Amino acid sequence: MNIADLLGFLSEERFIPELKAKTKDEALEELTDLLVEANLIRNKHLILEMLHRRESVGSTGIGHGIAIPHGRTTAAPELIIAFGRSSNGIAWEAIDGKPVHLIFLVIAPPHEEDNQYLPMLGKLVEFLHDENNRKKLLEIKTYQEFEELIKA
Amino acid sequence: MNKNQLDLLVALQDIDLMLKELDDVKQLGFEVRNEGAEALEKAREELTQKIGKPLLGKYERLRARYKRAIVPVKGDTCLGCFMRLPTYLITHKDKHNQIITCEGCGRILYWLE
Ligand SMILES: [Zn+2]
Repeated sequence: MNIADLLGFLSEERFIPELKAKTKDEALEELTDLLVEANLIRNKHLILEMLHRRESVGSTGIGHGIAIPHGRTTAAPELIIAFGRSSNGIAWEAIDGKPVHLIFLVIAPPHEEDNQYLPMLGKLVEFLHDENNRKKLLEIKTYQEFEELIKA
Repeated sequence: MNKNQLDLLVALQDIDLMLKELDDVKQLGFEVRNEGAEALEKAREELTQKIGKPLLGKYERLRARYKRAIVPVKGDTCLGCFMRLPTYLITHKDKHNQIITCEGCGRILYWLE
């Protein structure tokens, strides 16, 4: 698996260059709402319940302004990714205590034939470990630029 | 929100899925607190108290047999056994709230649409 495969699970309608959300709860809801609007899920409460539960186990804020809320849920039809950015930053109880600017939501069904969920999460973490990539993600303006960065 | 039994079961299965992969996500570099699994077990316990005993028993039996007790329906197909479901189930008015099992495999159905 390659980081460019991420583009198969994301699309322009699940890309928010500037989140309205000011809190973690609002951000999770804003991103989940995108999935409802795209008709990918019908019950957002189940998704949010799972995401909040995941946060209770340990923050998905992995440091350096990044959060990757994630989890499997019976309510997800397939592996789905959404992206949101906050220039002001959102408190996420991240491991380094810093506010979060880049958020990747990753949800997956209980079972996938090709098991891409965990490898995709791993690739994402790896990609975001690179300071250069983080910097560029903060600067890009359009989904096209986002695609170019991921493909590069 | 007043939740129906099906949604409670889905939440229960989601906890079971999470428990299974805690070590995997930890290995990827995510924070999983030491007491994380314990917190999930506690949430699981609280949830099971809201689910009727016979239904909970059914969930556990199906889980023991198939690993996942609840399976999604995509289109008109049970994604557990890939049997096409009869029309009367597809058009069931209250299918998002009722416990409906697949006639092929017996698993509980979650309707994606
Ligand atoms: Zn079946």
